[in-house]
Amino acid sequence: MTITRRSLLKAGALAAAAAALPRPLLAQLGRHPEPLPPIEDPRLQALASRALEAARAAGASYADARLTHTCTRNFSGAGTSDAESMEVGVRALVDGYWGFASGPVWAPDELARLGREAVHQAKVNALGKPRVVELAPAPVIANGHWEMPVATDPFELSPFEVQDFLGSLSRYVRRVPDTSVTRNYAVAMVQAKAFASTEGSFCTQRRWQMSGELLIELELPKEHRKGAFAVDSLSPAGMGWELYAADRIPRVREHSLREEITRGLEALKEDLLLPVKPVDVGRYDAVFDARTVAGLVDETLGRATELDRALGYEANAGGTSYLSDPFGMVGSYQAGAPSLTLTAERSEPGAVATVKWDDEGVAPDAFTLVKDGVLIDFQTTRESAGWMKNTYTKLGRPVRSHGCAGVSSAIEAPLQQAPNLTLAAGREAHDFDALVRGMNSGIAIKGAGIDMDFQHASGLGTGQVFEVKNGKRVATIASAGFLFRATELWKALQAVGGDASLRRYGMQTAKGEPAETCYHSVTAAPVMVKALTVLDPLRKA
Amino acid sequence: MRRGDGPTRLVEGDSERILSKEECDAIVRRIIGFAKGGAETRVRLQSWWNGELRWARNRVSLASDRRDIRVEIWRTVGVGRGRVSTNQLDDASLESAVRAAERAAVLSPEVLRQPPGMPPIPRAERPKTAIWSDATYAATPETRGEVARALVAPAEAQGMLSAGYLEMRAGSLLQVSSERLVDPCGPLDTPYAKWTQAQCSMTVRDAEGTGSGWAGRSGYDWTKIGAPALAARALEKCEASRHPVTLEPGRYTVILEPQAVADLMELVVASMFRTDAEFGTGPWALVMDDVLHLWRTKLGLKVLDERITISHDPADPELGILPEPWMQPVTWFDKGVLTNLAYDREYALEKLNVNPALRGMTGYRMSGGTTSIDEMIATTTRGLLVTRFSNTRTLDSKSLLATGLTRDGLWLIEHGKITKAVKNFRFTESPLFVLNAIEQLGVPVPVFRPVKNPYEQYQPLTPAIVPPVKARDFSFTSTIDAI
Repeated sequence: MTITRRSLLKAGALAAAAAALPRPLLAQLGRHPEPLPPIEDPRLQALASRALEAARAAGASYADARLTHTCTRNFSGAGTSDAESMEVGVRALVDGYWGFASGPVWAPDELARLGREAVHQAKVNALGKPRVVELAPAPVIANGHWEMPVATDPFELSPFEVQDFLGSLSRYVRRVPDTSVTRNYAVAMVQAKAFASTEGSFCTQRRWQMSGELLIELELPKEHRKGAFAVDSLSPAGMGWELYAADRIPRVREHSLREEITRGLEALKEDLLLPVKPVDVGRYDAVFDARTVAGLVDETLGRATELDRALGYEANAGGTSYLSDPFGMVGSYQAGAPSLTLTAERSEPGAVATVKWDDEGVAPDAFTLVKDGVLIDFQTTRESAGWMKNTYTKLGRPVRSHGCAGVSSAIEAPLQQAPNLTLAAGREAHDFDALVRGMNSGIAIKGAGIDMDFQHASGLGTGQVFEVKNGKRVATIASAGFLFRATELWKALQAVGGDASLRRYGMQTAKGEPAETCYHSVTAAPVMVKALTVLDPLRKA
Repeated sequence: MRRGDGPTRLVEGDSERILSKEECDAIVRRIIGFAKGGAETRVRLQSWWNGELRWARNRVSLASDRRDIRVEIWRTVGVGRGRVSTNQLDDASLESAVRAAERAAVLSPEVLRQPPGMPPIPRAERPKTAIWSDATYAATPETRGEVARALVAPAEAQGMLSAGYLEMRAGSLLQVSSERLVDPCGPLDTPYAKWTQAQCSMTVRDAEGTGSGWAGRSGYDWTKIGAPALAARALEKCEASRHPVTLEPGRYTVILEPQAVADLMELVVASMFRTDAEFGTGPWALVMDDVLHLWRTKLGLKVLDERITISHDPADPELGILPEPWMQPVTWFDKGVLTNLAYDREYALEKLNVNPALRGMTGYRMSGGTTSIDEMIATTTRGLLVTRFSNTRTLDSKSLLATGLTRDGLWLIEHGKITKAVKNFRFTESPLFVLNAIEQLGVPVPVFRPVKNPYEQYQPLTPAIVPPVKARDFSFTSTIDAI
């Protein structure tokens, strides 16, 4: 073996592209192992049906199976590293009890074993008191295939090209004096997934996920000020390499990555040159930037409208929800001001929870969680939509899952996971600066991190806080934070930025026991709220 | 089925759920056989099995059996090293993984190999302790189902809602290098080891959502978890925590149950690094020496109450062991004096003229006293009893000032008696302040700190044996509505 970096470079792009080829894992679809075929190979349906037949024969009233093939590539200054894995999981329902079994081997006998094991897991619990599961009806997907549209598959790029691109970003930053790059890496993922159920659905999907981190520090030696910012547009996205390469990504960035770096450095410098003053505890009108609002939306209504959480299914893990009486609250609970509308979907191109079918084979719909300030719905799966049956019927709405079942790989059992969330933009074309300009006296907050409680009812935010006087940011307030109650915060909403100010961020959430991690996007605009409680979070009682 | 020469037992079903030593050795031989062009091949081979049961609203919501494999391969080509991972064990997959690692090695722009001139790590005895329990591995889905029904029943009989989680877990680990195949005990090697972990925790809430109680325990041996006692404690706490009253934020004497102590201590665990202190960051930097132009640290200084000794014995299976041949017991704080901070091998050789590194705080035992929680309550004029903390986060790395929430049971103590359930608080406090304001200490016990793999260096939750602590002037800064 005598490949060297130089010989690969000499051989040019072709050889370099060969270095990035996926590895031929094996699957057994018939009698013998063979190189793993593409996920849309029709024989996978027969493979999956082995699990379903075994589960049915063992007594399951319903069963579904997932097969996933997951490739991840990490690009960093220290080289690339690859992870590739295959997973299969089978879920079975017996008398209202769920059983699940999973493992790494795609083979007919193994799928049959997993089908039997899933039923066994369910049956031993069905011995106890009765439990009712009424799955919301879902149209059968006879044979569907979907592939996420991406402009550039990062796995088809030469790793050299990607590394050189990342290196060029670092060099681009360092042209500016007194800067340093403390983190610069990219992660690409592609996952092929097949889903089959005893109701006759079979569908396959291939989706990409791209993310990265570019953390830049700036030190102003004369002023003795130092600050850092992370490039905003690299949060997880349902995209390919275009997340880095594109000159414009709607709702993510209006210009190239280099331009974003330049603008970010200018903004940081401007912030660092402001005088610093101590916090004056009190209540202030406040403008939040889109990033902070996305975090606030996600950590309050985003988590609180998970129906399983609201009903106590997460009580022993992350906690419950302040929307504690979902059936009574839907249609009447005032979750915020009339200017607050929150919608959900899993179809927006580029968003990270976007799929054609969820992990129960349901095509997710676009739905509204909060309309004009009133709570009108929850995030659901087929089981949890069934819990809403009476409520939906009473409101004259169809009983259907919103398609929020999710797993990160077939090793995990499906849980209700967050869809993409969007805070509806305001009617006027405000952006962050315009909202600040319109403020006589108050504060402006950028890039705040949010610590919520275990009902997502109240939180502490910490980030960059600025004093605003006569429409201008005039000082940085050192060590300032804000305390809020979710419902009070959203009721204090005065203005929401316009459509052009909407920004989308990919977010990671963990849920369940054992914890399962999934990704979704949150799109939000800058907002203004009145009478926010500002304090010094470092001050003890 | 047969796939290449790979082991088939994992595939064929129930006989074994994790890889045996013989299977691991055979897989490693095959991987190393695929390497071309000499130089080092390193393999880290892991397998695991999980038997799980989750319940909510008094009914089992999911029971599962899950298994997986992780093969990590490092290949050296020239001065570069490449790493890939897979979960497939057939020849074709393993060979292509080795090739991919070789390609990644060529791509690696940095010299990742040990710089020349580093002395070899001295050979040493490995801890012989086994973190293995046959009872944990043998627990069946039937057992978990029965246990869950027994845990739920008392809560349901009282009209409460119980939610919880049971997990039995086993795994195997082998890490070897092609350069040390016969007697693998180099610095990065781990002879074959298998392990078990068990955990049980539950939350009991009343139907109106006015009270919540929690109890949990983890460890390698399922028979020591004591699930029925946990269920009783969670139910008792739920009943006693209903309809809490609002109390003014402020400074209170607190009685922290062992779980709450471990929750706070997690912030200390994350701070125990020598190089941080010498860079002037973190809580253990003392003062900049203007003559030598370096930071002096607090090593050797008394930083905590003298009743506090915090140490780690790797031979204690309750605390987990690590796959390092030089692993010796470490005392981090000796009667309140800071005695050790973790450092890596480069630091050890360069600054201390010793060879092995000193690992971070990967498990620990905190000294205690003899006062029971009941006695602590009886001797308190006014104070709060804390079950546990949630959502803790460090706000200031210098003082370890942190914020977080009380959860699942907070009570007011007046004149030696628990008088009221209290609404949860957000706190703003440093664990270092608490460990300097101790009034009484109880008997140390293992707490709920489940780990995914006891052989991993870094755990989100650090295995701990800690006492209940009564301390003065704990700072609660706001009331929260969450229950």
